[in-house]
Amino acid sequence: MSPCIVSVRVFLLSRQRALPNVAQRVRKLSTGAASGPHPEERDVVIVGGGPAGLALAGALASYKHVRDSLSITLVEAGDLSSVENWSLNSGSFSNRVSSITNASQAFLKAVGAWDHVENDRTSPIEEMQVWDGVSDARITFTASELGLTAANNDSGVSPQMARLTENLNLQRGLLRHLSASPGIQISDKVKVKAIESEVREGGGWPLIHLSDGRTLRARLLVGADGFNSPVRSYAGISSFGWSYDTQAIVATLSHPPRTPFEPPNTTAYQRFLPTGPIAFLPLSPTASSLVWSTRPPLAAALTKGVSGVLALMINAAFRLPNVSMEYLHKVILEAEAAGTPLTLSQIKDEISWREKSHNIDKHSAFSSMLTESNQTGMPLEHSETLPPLISSIQPGTAASFPLRFNHAESYIGEGKGSRTVLVGDAAHTIHPLAGQGLNLGLGDVECLARCISNTVLQGGDIGSHTALLPYAQERYIENHKIMSACDKLHKLYTTTFEPVVWARSVGLEVINELDSIKAALMLSAGSSPKGRSSHRPGAAGWNRAAQGIEGLAGGFKVASMLGGAAADVVGSGLRQLLKSLPQKN
Amino acid sequence: MSLWQVPRCTVAITPKSTSSSRNTHRAISVLRPLALHTPRSRCLSTPASQTEATSTINPSEIAFFSKLSSQWWDEQGEFSFLHRMNPVRMQFIREKLLEVKRDGEYEKDGFRFDRGGQDEGDHVKVMQGLDVLDVGCGGGLLSESLARSGAHTLGIDASSSNVAIASLHASADPQLSPDTFPSSSTRPTSRAGSLTYRHAAAEDLLQEPKRYDAVCSMEVLEHVDNPAGFLETCAELVKPGGHLFLSTIARTPLSYFLTIFMAEQVLQKVTSGTHTHAKYVNPSELISFFQKYRKPSVAGESGRPWISRTYEHGLPTRTEAEVRGMVYVPWRGEWVLAPRGGSLLAPSAQCNYLFWVRKPL
Ligand SMILES: Cc1cc2nc3c(=O)[nH]c(=O)nc-3n(C[C@H](O)[C@H](O)[C@H](O)COP(=O)(O)OP(=O)(O)OC[C@H]3O[C@@H](n4cnc5c(N)ncnc54)[C@H](O)[C@@H]3O)c2cc1C
Repeated sequence: MSPCIVSVRVFLLSRQRALPNVAQRVRKLSTGAASGPHPEERDVVIVGGGPAGLALAGALASYKHVRDSLSITLVEAGDLSSVENWSLNSGSFSNRVSSITNASQAFLKAVGAWDHVENDRTSPIEEMQVWDGVSDARITFTASELGLTAANNDSGVSPQMARLTENLNLQRGLLRHLSASPGIQISDKVKVKAIESEVREGGGWPLIHLSDGRTLRARLLVGADGFNSPVRSYAGISSFGWSYDTQAIVATLSHPPRTPFEPPNTTAYQRFLPTGPIAFLPLSPTASSLVWSTRPPLAAALTKGVSGVLALMINAAFRLPNVSMEYLHKVILEAEAAGTPLTLSQIKDEISWREKSHNIDKHSAFSSMLTESNQTGMPLEHSETLPPLISSIQPGTAASFPLRFNHAESYIGEGKGSRTVLVGDAAHTIHPLAGQGLNLGLGDVECLARCISNTVLQGGDIGSHTALLPYAQERYIENHKIMSACDKLHKLYTTTFEPVVWARSVGLEVINELDSIKAALMLSAGSSPKGRSSHRPGAAGWNRAAQGIEGLAGGFKVASMLGGAAADVVGSGLRQLLKSLPQKN
Repeated sequence: MSLWQVPRCTVAITPKSTSSSRNTHRAISVLRPLALHTPRSRCLSTPASQTEATSTINPSEIAFFSKLSSQWWDEQGEFSFLHRMNPVRMQFIREKLLEVKRDGEYEKDGFRFDRGGQDEGDHVKVMQGLDVLDVGCGGGLLSESLARSGAHTLGIDASSSNVAIASLHASADPQLSPDTFPSSSTRPTSRAGSLTYRHAAAEDLLQEPKRYDAVCSMEVLEHVDNPAGFLETCAELVKPGGHLFLSTIARTPLSYFLTIFMAEQVLQKVTSGTHTHAKYVNPSELISFFQKYRKPSVAGESGRPWISRTYEHGLPTRTEAEVRGMVYVPWRGEWVLAPRGGSLLAPSAQCNYLFWVRKPL
């Protein structure tokens, strides 16, 4: 583990050095671009019509004094009309879903956009079960246990920790909200080709050259343009990060409904395997979403392979002991490398053979085999500790994305890059194990919109450093805490290093008592702030979580001093692990 | 030495600037950018008819002015604290205007229960169409905000360089210089204020008939040689029923410690010599000034004092005048308006404070 981390660090440094050059090149290149004779004046230019950009436009439009006094344009390379007219039969779901925390929902409600999100296509998460793939230590928590009351959500039925929503459902809702509230101009199917800084004494404003030939001159340029943010490069803001050497497989899963004797399909399950966590996120009684982080070659083999294989492997990944999962991964990759991918029945045989060797009864909940045996309507014993068995993958929904950690060094541009601000994935990219990426972006947007609104009220210049500073101050630290907690969790769990696993297993059981780790693993919960100006409540919890993770590791240091050779081994293992974790949070 | 003498540049943007009032009190800028010390002998004069247009700036001077401009408008530089103070000043001005407006509506229409939902709208509109004078506008920090809020704003400064800097800065902003931006047609026009700068001293304006709904003079008083005369001039420029807003520094041990010892000597955030402690003015002195000061008699009638009564602790009634401390919160890097009330001796009013007084109708 540690050599790998060292190389990560080196990579990080070389990235940092490399980035300013990239920025310079971009700037030079841009200056060459022909500036139109009459740039159009805009107060706000938002680049990017992803969830963050659309939510920002929606939030700004919801303040009357902002939309009355500012001209706002959103530019998106893709076709937004297809998003606005997006529809799927009930029962089928898009593969990109996000758990929207209660805090994010409260924000979207205050803006007026949540009403346009099709509620029937969303699902509450009322319970979470998280367990360690190696030791099987497990924690379970429910929304009510977390003090989230039913009053926190609209349904009024049961308290929820978050609401699982297709990204497209959210984006469509935001677009519908925008078309209902005039004042924002949306230019889709238009790409930002180049950005340059206007030549003007005393500091120029950004000029944005568009693929349709127009040039916009922006008082404030917002980069909501995702991980590869062109706005970030223009602003000369470097970012630090690494790629996890992990791909996230996403897919929409079909499965039979829970029996009346089981809890409803509103539990999220996440198993931390050494290759990465696999998560099952409920969408409806018979459909759920998968986010499975694993090694890139395996992700490729599973998503491109025979369709039944992925479903089978998902079932196994939640059930089979880790040794057998490792074995299966090995044979799949070997067969792949040999050019003779395993057939469905070969994999079935492998799994059932493995189950037999582990004494797993094929009629039990722990078997990955779909059996006809359970027709009594009575649930199998312990079935509530596992997600329902997947019967199939919805066609065309299996895909995979590379995972990275990335954080911009600043959220606001300075000097030549002044009058720029970053939100969402342009500012930060995070491991999805906590389902927080989009929520961080929505938190950014909520804060930035409030900042802009306040500045307009005071007659200030919304592009000025003074106006943007409160945004950067509020969001940077908060995002950093959450990001480093998730990063540490990822590193803590993607190791099979024996002493660490031992520590983890103990840890997880200790954790059950500990609020702090619960907060970290609960991840997607957020309470419901009343009113738009209230602070997101998550920060304190995240802070505790980050401290908790460190405290947990620190605790084992103490354990190692208790003496005995075993303890020494454990201690040094942990020390190594600790060293490999980023020191500051 | 007062600051207006510092720029030994003979730039004249308005011909009035060399009027006989030179030796009286002047509106001057709060802090001097270091570059102002550079002697410049070049002259930039404009025909009298084109007094305010930014286009009257000689392009060859622009490079020079923009060097200064980069100081006034370098938000992380020497003036950073003024930039951060600006929203608080605006908040105070806005809240006070709103309060007076509502009191007026209350007197006219009686009490109205339902004000819900109107607050933001009122907030936005309260400055629209008002004639506002910013005395000692410096680089234009406050003037720009006033104009963006919809006020017809005139910023004056006795330093021609400051006026040039302010004009240059505003010329980049289509909200402030709509004429130079023909393509800003998509702009919502709900809050069109206007912004004009003139190289003039407050006294120069006395000769003109125009009076203002609000006169603001921020961080100027503490640099003036004859504060009483300066206050009289400002007061005269206010319309009956209009408002005078000041911000300045109290003459206390705390203010010496913070604004001179710490800011100039220890942290060297502000150029040494910027402030003279003896020139600071206490809130109680402003209050007693306006208890005695009467609006100039109209047709033989003697006016009534602007502040007719104070409470036991020395504070005026909320409808006549108000003192509010401004406190810097270092860990937020932000200025905040101290809560209302308290006494004049409250710690929050011991250093930077805002003062509002209303001219009787
Ligand atoms: C597998 C996976 C699972 C996830 N699960 C969750 C979850 O459960 N919960 C959660 O909160 N988050 C989750 N996330 C993260 C979430 O999807 C992202 O954080 C979110 O999509 C970021 O939104 P954004 O608007 O910032 O950026 P994006 O969605 O990347 O949008 C950027 C937009 O900018 C446009 N653009 C870029 N360049 C230009 C240009 N030059 N001109 C014009 N337009 C341009 C692009 O077309 C794009 O539409 C997950 C991510 C992954 C990969």
